[in-house]
Amino acid sequence: MNIIIVGCGKVGFSLAEQLVREKHNITVMDPDEETLQRASDAMDIMTVSGSGSSAVDLRQAGADEADLMVAATSSDEVNMVCCLLSKNLGTRYTIARIRNPEYISSLADLRRNLNIDMVINPENSTAIEISRLLRFPAAANIETFCRGRVELIGFRLQEDDFLTDKPLRELDPRVKSLPLLFCAADRDGEVYIPNGNFIPRAGDQLYVAGQPAALDRFFILLGRYVSKAKKVFLVGGGKVSLYLAHILDKLGMQLKIVERDEARCRMISEKFPRAIVLCADGTDSELLESENLTSYDAFVALTDRDEDNLIISLYAMQRGIAKVITKCTRQNYAGIVRSLGLDSIVSPKFITASHILHMVRGLQNSKGSVMNSLHRIADGHAEAMDFTVGPSTRFLGVPLKDLHLKKGILLAAIVRGQEIIIPEGSTCLMENDRVVIIARGGGILDLNDIYDDEFSFSAPGSGPQ
Amino acid sequence: MNLLLVLKIVGRVLLFESLTLLPPLGVALWYGEDPMPFVSTFVLVAFLGAFLASLSAPPTFFAREGFCCVGMIWVLTGILGSLPFYLSGAVPSFVDCLFESFSGFTTTGGTVLPDVEILPQGVQFWRCFSHWLGGMGVLILATAVLPSLGEQSQYLARAETPGPFVLKLVPRQPRTSKILYAIYCVMTLVVILLLWAAGLPLYDAVVHAFSIAGTGGFSSKNASFAFYGNPAVDLIVSVFTLLFSLNFGLFYLALCRRFKEIWKSEELRFFLAVVTLSTVFIAWDLDPGHHQGILESLRYAFFHVTSVISTSGFFTEDYALWPQFSQMILVLLMFCGSCSNSTGGGIKCARVLILLRTLRRELHRLAHPRAVEVIKLDGRVVEDRAVRTVLAFLGCYMLILCAAGLIISLDGHSFSISFSSALSSLSNVGPGLELVGPTGNFSALSPLSKLVMSACMVIGRLEIFPILILLSPNAWRRT
Repeated sequence: MNIIIVGCGKVGFSLAEQLVREKHNITVMDPDEETLQRASDAMDIMTVSGSGSSAVDLRQAGADEADLMVAATSSDEVNMVCCLLSKNLGTRYTIARIRNPEYISSLADLRRNLNIDMVINPENSTAIEISRLLRFPAAANIETFCRGRVELIGFRLQEDDFLTDKPLRELDPRVKSLPLLFCAADRDGEVYIPNGNFIPRAGDQLYVAGQPAALDRFFILLGRYVSKAKKVFLVGGGKVSLYLAHILDKLGMQLKIVERDEARCRMISEKFPRAIVLCADGTDSELLESENLTSYDAFVALTDRDEDNLIISLYAMQRGIAKVITKCTRQNYAGIVRSLGLDSIVSPKFITASHILHMVRGLQNSKGSVMNSLHRIADGHAEAMDFTVGPSTRFLGVPLKDLHLKKGILLAAIVRGQEIIIPEGSTCLMENDRVVIIARGGGILDLNDIYDDEFSFSAPGSGPQ
Repeated sequence: MNLLLVLKIVGRVLLFESLTLLPPLGVALWYGEDPMPFVSTFVLVAFLGAFLASLSAPPTFFAREGFCCVGMIWVLTGILGSLPFYLSGAVPSFVDCLFESFSGFTTTGGTVLPDVEILPQGVQFWRCFSHWLGGMGVLILATAVLPSLGEQSQYLARAETPGPFVLKLVPRQPRTSKILYAIYCVMTLVVILLLWAAGLPLYDAVVHAFSIAGTGGFSSKNASFAFYGNPAVDLIVSVFTLLFSLNFGLFYLALCRRFKEIWKSEELRFFLAVVTLSTVFIAWDLDPGHHQGILESLRYAFFHVTSVISTSGFFTEDYALWPQFSQMILVLLMFCGSCSNSTGGGIKCARVLILLRTLRRELHRLAHPRAVEVIKLDGRVVEDRAVRTVLAFLGCYMLILCAAGLIISLDGHSFSISFSSALSSLSNVGPGLELVGPTGNFSALSPLSKLVMSACMVIGRLEIFPILILLSPNAWRRT
């Protein structure tokens, strides 16, 4: 597809990187020549210097023939104008990044009148993700599928867990009887799709999928169950904090927010009268101690600087806070601190890129089976998707044991009506099922992409499609 | 530097290049000549390529690796490309073979052979075919057809395309390369047909069309286009050498019917102005007694101006006998060269324009020390970093020119011979002045000078840096 990305900031850049890898034709537009130079040095893309609010520049970038335009400049207003202009020039789909909370209430109107097909709000998405983790602190990360009926939870295996150093087939029968499935394991950046012989080791990030209730049971058996956080300590009062405070406040959690800027503090305290708002430097350990850090269930580091976030998170973890969540934009830092034990790392640009990738895949495959959601797990080394089985899907009614799936593909769960099925050899797919699929690498657009064509035509019992 | 991956990519490209030996092999078979020179070169290149391509390497690849790859590929291509000359026995000295091969691939077109008409047809074809391959670039061709180059393709193509700015027609490099080659092939085909229609034998038309397309200069005749003495042929050659020395991005714009943007190109306007002025001045300066009337003077002036500024080096007359003023203009044109992203060589008009504008800015700054002024080209700002790169390029160009001239002068020839040999090979023109002028050749020079000139040719074709980086210890360090 021909995709234009306007604004080559953090989100724009990582999005371009991702989409180039998926073999799309990317044109990046930015007013700053140096930014463009950096982008074109790193990726096989075309760059156009110009402003997103100029129709001439947009046409220069090819907006009249583009399939998709993503407006990701730092200004919401420019993004909206950019969508309007390129839609008028003939771009088929537009995505705007709109993140100012003031626009949220009128978002539906804005979208309709400005012809925006999708609005992304990285800060809000990040806040939602964090709130999910606070509700289920045992997980390092959680993805939900099929309206929350299936969850995929990642957690780090520890030395003394009963799973460690035993093949999965020899698990405790109490765990085995639970309807859940081990989907993926991330060992030092390498992703494995486990089978019965897989031996988990301490330090592995394991991903397990199933119904929320079954997952709760699993974590209780594992001795890791922690009920939802009640007192949350937030450092940093940026946009993510505001969105997060909004959600947590509604859930009735107790909040303490530390922010350096006084005017900002006043604004936050105005909005959330129940929260304790402190105007201070959140990276100062003395302050954290004097504010009784250890009495909190959860600590969330949301300042602008990755480095500050990581250091204070490590500090909080060392002080024994049960749940520590860190905002970290740089991918390479995430890997380093994970080895130090910080598991819950959220990255706004990463979350946003997943959302847009999902949309792009959907546009590419508008005829086949519908992809309902896409989440990238294990630092982007694997993807978890949820498809609705359509009439074009092949091999319906064929038992899974007779099918040849591509390497690195796993069916994690099937939702059929009210029932949630953890697939076995005898399970078969039926129309209107919703299927959760884990794929190592990526690039699955359609449910039919999971079959290995070299084998499946000779598979016993498989008729013509 | 990730040397293993560089070698692996070099191997893949070599493997691909071995295929380019098949057309001359076919020609040799058609004319009933000995096919062995091509067969053995083919086997050797394919074997070497397959060996290098089978290496396993870590995947890190950046601009530095890209430059090294391009440098190595070109040096190897030149050396391996000389084998058919040597093995056929037509050119006994290996240094001469190297010279011919580099002169071919870099589209220089200077020759050391006193008589090219005695060459076997297959070798003859290979000489001119190498012009065609080197004109648009072997790597651009490789990135167009080899999907396995994938992510690396942009670094390779960038290091090979001439000019201060990267040419990208569409977002993905492989597709850009395909479009470039499609335009190139179609235009070559048109030249073949026109030359054929103008009365050249088909074989001559093909061979010369390759030469014209690459703005090379090799001819299958000792007297180049003077052999035909046909004004129509002269006109076709002039017009097409001119077209091939334009920025290929403009042809793409024409295909997209964006004609307004074409005329906006300041490089194009500058180039055409230079061509027009030089033609007029030379026509005025040429001896009226020697040519019959101003029209004939214009014809010869236009032919040689286009031939030199496009850095081809065809001739219909020995311009070494022209008045000094005309010769000086031609020498200046050798410096200037064609437009960026064309098949021609030289400094490139875009760089000359940026240089002139920088000079203007510096002068302006003397008068107004606090003035802030940006340099623009085609209505876009040229960043200071790009300006610095251009100035560094020009500095390097002059230094290399001086060094090469110095070494060639060891042979004891006159200043204009030494200097014009160096300039002509660095700018990929071909002929120089006096003894090494259009009707002469470089056979009188020593082997050392020939090697230096071969090096200049490849340095000039790749615009200095890909070759210099191979010589820099920085590139070879692992860290």
